[in-house]
Amino acid sequence: MRRRGSVARERAAFGVIRGLSLLTIAILALIMGFILYKGFRFSNEVRGTVLPYAERSPDGLALVVGGGIDLDSLDFPVLYGMYTDEYINWAKISADDFDLLPIAIDPAKPDGSATAKLLFGESADPQWGGLVKTVPDAAAALALLRSTPGAAAILPVDALRASTDTKELRVVPIRRLMLAANEDVVALVDNRSIEDLDDAALARLMGGAVKNWKELGGPDLTVKILSPPAGSTLAAAVASGRPLSAAKASIAPPSMAAYETALSGTSGAVGYSLAADAQAAGLAPLTLKTVESGWNLTWKYLVEAPRLSGKVGGISTIILNTLLMLALTILIAAPIGVAAAVYLIEYAKQGPLIRVLRLGTETLAGIPSIIFGLFGFLFFVNILHFGFGLLSGCLTLTLMILPTIVRTSEEALKAVPRSLREGSLALGATKLQTVLRVTIPAAAPGILTGLILGVGRAVGETAALLFTMGSDYKLAKGLFSSARVLSSHVYLLFAEGISFDRAFSTATVLILVVLVFNFAARRLVGRMGGVK
Amino acid sequence: MESTGAKFDVTKLDLWYGQTQALNQVSMKIEANSITALIGPSGCGKSTFLRVLDRMNDLIDGVRVEGTVLYDGADIFGSADVIDLRKRIGMVFQKPNPFPMSVFDNVAYGPRVHGLHARTAAEKRHLSELVEKSLVNAALFDEVKDRLHKSALGLSGGQQQRLCIARVLAVEPDVLLMDEPTSALDPISTAKIEALLDELKVRYTIVIVTHNMQQAGRVSDSTGFFLHGELVEYAPTKEIFFNPRDKRTENYISGRFG
Ligand SMILES: Nc1ncnc2c1ncn2[C@@H]1O[C@H](COP(=O)(O)OP(=O)(O)OP(=O)(O)O)[C@@H](O)[C@H]1O
Ligand SMILES: [Mg+2]
Repeated sequence: MRRRGSVARERAAFGVIRGLSLLTIAILALIMGFILYKGFRFSNEVRGTVLPYAERSPDGLALVVGGGIDLDSLDFPVLYGMYTDEYINWAKISADDFDLLPIAIDPAKPDGSATAKLLFGESADPQWGGLVKTVPDAAAALALLRSTPGAAAILPVDALRASTDTKELRVVPIRRLMLAANEDVVALVDNRSIEDLDDAALARLMGGAVKNWKELGGPDLTVKILSPPAGSTLAAAVASGRPLSAAKASIAPPSMAAYETALSGTSGAVGYSLAADAQAAGLAPLTLKTVESGWNLTWKYLVEAPRLSGKVGGISTIILNTLLMLALTILIAAPIGVAAAVYLIEYAKQGPLIRVLRLGTETLAGIPSIIFGLFGFLFFVNILHFGFGLLSGCLTLTLMILPTIVRTSEEALKAVPRSLREGSLALGATKLQTVLRVTIPAAAPGILTGLILGVGRAVGETAALLFTMGSDYKLAKGLFSSARVLSSHVYLLFAEGISFDRAFSTATVLILVVLVFNFAARRLVGRMGGVK
Repeated sequence: MESTGAKFDVTKLDLWYGQTQALNQVSMKIEANSITALIGPSGCGKSTFLRVLDRMNDLIDGVRVEGTVLYDGADIFGSADVIDLRKRIGMVFQKPNPFPMSVFDNVAYGPRVHGLHARTAAEKRHLSELVEKSLVNAALFDEVKDRLHKSALGLSGGQQQRLCIARVLAVEPDVLLMDEPTSALDPISTAKIEALLDELKVRYTIVIVTHNMQQAGRVSDSTGFFLHGELVEYAPTKEIFFNPRDKRTENYISGRFG
């Protein structure tokens, strides 16, 4: 009876232990997976008016940019902004650091009027920006495109095809289709207005499943879908853009003019529109909610230098700075830490002084890094006049990780069996020879574990480094040059609100650096023939 | 008091670990080129005595020694250099203690710490010849010749013990002290090491601690019986075994044989 009870208890305990361990593993996997996923892929909800269908050559035109511009497609409002001086730099458009040079063929020329029409519709008064450079023909535009890295031009597709060398250039598809509605639909009624439409709502609306705008949070109006007049540019764009299932049109105006009138004049009307036309005709666009996703951690991000506070470019110099910092810190901390541990274990008489020292190191290991940062700032940066730089930062880190290294090295040395030391001494080796050739190599795996722990702490340090090493994201030029490392970059990207996505991809790189370091250290231990 | 041809001449040796006395008035002459066995119950001071001979007890805090130990006529506690003493007196421990390095490096360890560098090709050849010779003398070479550069920790217990013997031989010592070298080994490895002792005796003076009466009887020329830190009886092995003078010796030996 008693036996059976104990077996059941045993089993219950085993179940609990297994459950807890599995839970722990699951949580760890979840966290790692989440960070890595966010690091490699970004996926953001964006609000806009343009549908996510891109046209490669709207109206027989193409937007051509230099190969250095990293752009998959472009919203019409941004294109419009480019040609109306809203943007002067590519940073906000494609995260490239070039001055913007918008090029257009002279509107007076036959090719040029198409460009004006694309941008401004039938508007009588096109608002060309002052930055826009007009050229007489496509050839001149192409020449300018090749010579100016930040140039962009709207050109006839035929002219582009005729050109022999377009290798260095890139055609950027334009997204300009949007949903326009009658003003009553978007009006604020009873403090309520139509909600932003996500993909599903959009499909329901244009598939004819929504009868009344109430269903989408809007006013009590019947939904009336207009279909674009056959043969119009709009109809072609709608067809080529593959948007949604065939709209169940309730009204089909015969011409574009009638279509626009119907859209603005019929209560509850909704229909597709080209951004330029909608703007010209003063139609109210419906706001869409789309999820944008793509690769976050790209090769380009790894190999390019950061610019504009890391908003633009990559993190190559920051990775190098991190490696430099690690190398320097280990170079300083490892010999000191191991030497201290060897002294404490092999040479020092175990007395009260040693006990106090040990208590001290243990306490230091638990002190928050920010305090080391304050000390480093005061001592290295100010008193010793090292300034913000690699040296101050690495010395601070050294102080921070030294206790860990000393403690683990001590444990590792203690674990080396006495018989090994005696074996060496009995062969006539001196104490120093024994320590250097037998004890330390035998303790190497443990010592290395300590170093890895220390490096882990160093590479993850932010607070102490901002105070001592500074945050210059250029490659450190010397011991006294300020340097930003991965962890502080993550912090600054986040704290300065520069980019959450970039913070995550930098974090992923940071994790990978730690992983690579761990792996390399393990291999090294394996090679040394130490006991694993 | 001139050298009497004895390798070691121990007189009135007392040893204390702190307050506890582990050796009491031990006097013993150990002949050169002979095998001397030390027997006695556990805790009687055999290891302690052995460790006095190459001053390994220096490493333990609180050890106090009185009496004299002459090695080749010279007092080992006098001006003698410990390093030099330990170089000439090799010690094999009860538990094999190979260093965590390759078989070759284990054997080459002693020569290297004594300044044999393998910088030139000739020096390299000399070192590897020395290693090979030591391994051959320790009856291990054939078993490890294909794995000289693999970790010594991969060897079997018996191989490890012979490696430790080879490691000592490579220093070319004069005396071999062995503290129960076969206690952790199987009969085959034990037989190999015993055969080895017989060969080594020609060139070395050997002192061996053993709990194995048959082993003492088989390999040794003379035997010392320790009890509670005292050397009760010390005589040629045959006499100790067949004609012990002291009652306590007889009890111990007969008790062992059951
Ligand atoms: N380092 C030490 N510190 C204190 N006492 C010790 C130490 N080493 C040995 N002793 C004591 O000295 C006595 C003799 O020990 P020793 O190791 O010489 O015995 P032994 O004859 O070799 O025994 P065994 O056959 O078990 O190896 C024992 O009572 C032991 O407890
Ligand atoms: Mg013993």
